[in-house]
Amino acid sequence: MSRIILTAAIRGSHAIVNRVAKKVEEAIEKFGPDQKVELPNTGYYLPIIWGILGIPVTKLGDMPRVVEYCKNLLPPIPDEKNWLPYLGPGLDAGMATLLSYDMEEALKYLEDPLPYLPLAEDCDDEHLWLGAADDRIMRKRGVEFVDGTAPGFAAIVGAAPDNETAVKIAKELQEKNLYVFMASDHNGVNMAEQLKEEGVQLGWTTRLVPFGKDTSAAIHAMGFATRVAMAFGGVKPGDYVKILRYNKNRVFAFVMALGHVTDEWYAAAAGCINWGFPTIADSNIPQILPTGVCTYEHVVSNVPHDQIVSKAIEVRGLKIQVAKVPVPVSYGPAFEGERIGKDAMHVELAGPKAMGVEFCTSAPLDEVQDGKIELVGPDFKDMEEGSRHSLGILVTVAGRKMQEDFEPILERQIHHFLNWAEGVLHIGQRDIIWLRISKKAMEKGFSAIHFGKILHARFHSEFNNIVDKIQVNIYTEEDKVKLLLDKARTVWKERDERLAGLTDDAVDTFYSCTLCQSFAPNHVCIITPERPGLCGAYNWLDGKAAYEINPTGPNQPVKKGEVVDEKLGKWKGVDEFVYPTSHNTIQSFSAYSIMNDPMTSCGCFECITVVLPMANGVMIVDRDSTCMTPCGMTFSTLAGTVGGGLQTPGFIGMSKFYIGSKKFISADGGFKRIVWMPKALKEQLKDMLVKRSEEIGIPDFYDKIATEEDATTEEEVIEFMNKVGHPALEMEPMM
Amino acid sequence: MAFTPPLEKYAGKIREVVIGKGDKVVKLGGHNAMPGCIFDGDFPNLPKIALEVFDSAPEDWAPEAIKPYEDVVNDPVAWAKKAVDVYNAELVCLHLKSTDPNGENVGADEAAQLAKKVSDSISVPLIVLGSGNAEKDGEVAAKVCEVCAGQNLLVGLAVEDNYKKIGAAAIGYGHCVAAQSPIDVNLAKQLNILLDNLGVPLDKIVMEPSTGALGYGIEYTYSVMERIELAALSQNDDKMQLPIMNIMAVETWKTREAKLDVDAEPTFGDLSKRGILWEAMTAVDLILSGTSLLIMRHPEAVRLTKEIIEELYLGK
Ligand code: SF4
Repeated sequence: MSRIILTAAIRGSHAIVNRVAKKVEEAIEKFGPDQKVELPNTGYYLPIIWGILGIPVTKLGDMPRVVEYCKNLLPPIPDEKNWLPYLGPGLDAGMATLLSYDMEEALKYLEDPLPYLPLAEDCDDEHLWLGAADDRIMRKRGVEFVDGTAPGFAAIVGAAPDNETAVKIAKELQEKNLYVFMASDHNGVNMAEQLKEEGVQLGWTTRLVPFGKDTSAAIHAMGFATRVAMAFGGVKPGDYVKILRYNKNRVFAFVMALGHVTDEWYAAAAGCINWGFPTIADSNIPQILPTGVCTYEHVVSNVPHDQIVSKAIEVRGLKIQVAKVPVPVSYGPAFEGERIGKDAMHVELAGPKAMGVEFCTSAPLDEVQDGKIELVGPDFKDMEEGSRHSLGILVTVAGRKMQEDFEPILERQIHHFLNWAEGVLHIGQRDIIWLRISKKAMEKGFSAIHFGKILHARFHSEFNNIVDKIQVNIYTEEDKVKLLLDKARTVWKERDERLAGLTDDAVDTFYSCTLCQSFAPNHVCIITPERPGLCGAYNWLDGKAAYEINPTGPNQPVKKGEVVDEKLGKWKGVDEFVYPTSHNTIQSFSAYSIMNDPMTSCGCFECITVVLPMANGVMIVDRDSTCMTPCGMTFSTLAGTVGGGLQTPGFIGMSKFYIGSKKFISADGGFKRIVWMPKALKEQLKDMLVKRSEEIGIPDFYDKIATEEDATTEEEVIEFMNKVGHPALEMEPMM
Repeated sequence: MAFTPPLEKYAGKIREVVIGKGDKVVKLGGHNAMPGCIFDGDFPNLPKIALEVFDSAPEDWAPEAIKPYEDVVNDPVAWAKKAVDVYNAELVCLHLKSTDPNGENVGADEAAQLAKKVSDSISVPLIVLGSGNAEKDGEVAAKVCEVCAGQNLLVGLAVEDNYKKIGAAAIGYGHCVAAQSPIDVNLAKQLNILLDNLGVPLDKIVMEPSTGALGYGIEYTYSVMERIELAALSQNDDKMQLPIMNIMAVETWKTREAKLDVDAEPTFGDLSKRGILWEAMTAVDLILSGTSLLIMRHPEAVRLTKEIIEELYLGK
């Protein structure tokens, strides 16, 4: 119920604005309108007023104008009965509050003795409260906000129920590299005082910064954020839209309200929502959940203390970084090819003679506990040397942007991630995994728990954009592995079916890949569900995930747009994308034709398809083949002709998967056109080819495809075709 | 009928990047035609040349390269001054080579103090580069930015692995960023986009596309630079419209041709001329590839290169 909150916030803001108006009046009376007011060593005047309104306040006489502005901003206090809850007036009230606080705090610098320790980075024994940061500190710390060393800050108002909890919360925030800004009090105590009592070092150096004991001192957090937008975002003073947007998008800050939420706190919290900073409270107050100004929720309350940090991080959309993979062995791509022989091995896991399963699934955010790693069954050190055990690895991830479609992509990475550890051999995926742990790794203290640590660290660093929380369960106990295996198999079946059901017609977006432009400058792959990238390494789902993970990377979404030619597979959106992306060399692409504007090839193709005009069909040759083909060229000679991003009708480079696709050169007659392929390739793809043969209603079509054993010239191919009655002979001419 | 030479008009223009502050500024870029094609467009700023200075005495340099600096190699400040006062350098490029963690591993603070000293003692803008170790370079460059706040240096090298550190410090303390990508147009563009997203204004970035010396991959550099320029000018690609710099002397002077004695390779001819010519030839190639800033070593090579620049652009 946001109505209660907003009513309280508006009530609070009235009280604050009036109080500050009075203080300003009194100060002018006492010091005169020409009395200088400033925060220590800053070029940003009173930063909120300068940033938001563009008014440089330098003397007391400049303040009444701002007070007037605040008064005008104040919405009327809502009528208890007839008032519709609406965020707008609440935000205005919040803004008026923060502008007033800016003045209230500046007035403190006229007080004698000064309640703050200006220009100091750290607190000393007598002085706990630091007040506003000067520009030097702001720049130094602001750099950390931009380069990501410190993603943002927690503005904490109030105090924890006890010192121990205060220390715990502070530690947890420090571990996440966040700054902790502290102000205000709850029952006369502030969290900074609690930390001080416990002997915690306070100041900018430890990132635990006590601003002041009044609620108004929280303004120094907002002033800091506002200056960062001007200093690092190049935002001009007074351009409030940009200041607020910069903070929402780049400064990962939130308010943590510990203790009873007063009207004044509500008013300040409403102000912070303008900056995109949500409030997380430990008390039971109403919430504002729907997304609007902030990235996600605005006010989340009643959060237990042991969850408050992780909740805050989730609500603010903060990404966790795990800098180093915390394992006792070396870790890196250099160990990917490492073999572990029988003698060097401590234990073998899964493999052909034991059960094994690796499974990645996603769950709602509140069901996953980030960093939790659980082992059920004996650890490696408790396994007899040379023995064999079953192994199950369950990775459960959660993320605001996580989609079910990404699960298999993450799952496939488990192999690489584990294999990078020195002393770990990992082969295969799903239920065909096979691992060995070396004796050397055991000497260094390698444990099954480290599998979890590796996966936790690497998923965070590689899939930051889609994954927020990762939890790993490891099973070495037979029945547990079995349970997981059964569950995984059901899901894999569903996944495979879904992938098979994914068609070009069913989606409205394809994905591009320009990874190969480094050597084929004008080449673009358009990846559709039924036609993967020609290297075979990227299918449509990969493209989609890659885009989510790295929005500026080589995989971009391409809206199909209007259909230009359904049969050829031409869409307006695709052509409009391909033209500039190919540096104005390719006007149009057909997804399903080898003759008419075929897709280009970079050089990475798994195979090449070539039209054999007299045979009225096509031959396919793969990269591994060295034999002479009926078109008179070997694969390597062909590769030289087809690559380089050129559009050559009659020739396409493609993935093996595409041969079994219903869209395989469907505009030119499709699968039935295949007249020749190398024997090895034919055998490798047998299942797929036989299945397609049945689908097109010619169950023995597989046997009608010639290999190098039947023919090496086009003439011989035709002879073979006549002998077996190849359907292409009856089809309309290809060219 | 009189002959009208065909003119190529380009849609785009390279941004002008200003390095330095006050009365010591150098402007790069700003042109809207391909290198040397003065008939097609305007070149408000000719290619500039920086002389390089190292933070520690070089060990394996060719004798000819050492000669001009013999008296100052142990004192980077004096070296920089000599480069400016005696050899008229338009900019100075300080290589903080001894910060290399696999070498002397000099700390960021010390290195930054040196950068400041050098910057304060010369009358031209300063370029500061690290040792080539991405992680350490990030740390060093960030410190240099802080210590030399407001001087608008050109600091680097920002690469994919450290661009956040260098970019953030450059924004915070008002400097330009030298961004290096591994000899690939798209990667060059991607780094520009990343820096742009970070908040580094595009007119505060200079691209280093990875430079090969004559005979050692210069053709790759040429081709990447040409494509960057074409993307910027013909296709009006906003993210590519930044001037290009080439860190070339280090590459040139480590070639066999610049170092090998004539006794060892009789067909190579006089060593004392060879290194200089190798550097000058590399420089000329890079000018024809579209560079806006060359980091060079030998004063005589610089003189030869300047002659060509003037001939090409001013018809002298
Ligand atoms: S061949 Fe593969 S990697 Fe290269 S552009 Fe196509 S999809 Fe991308």
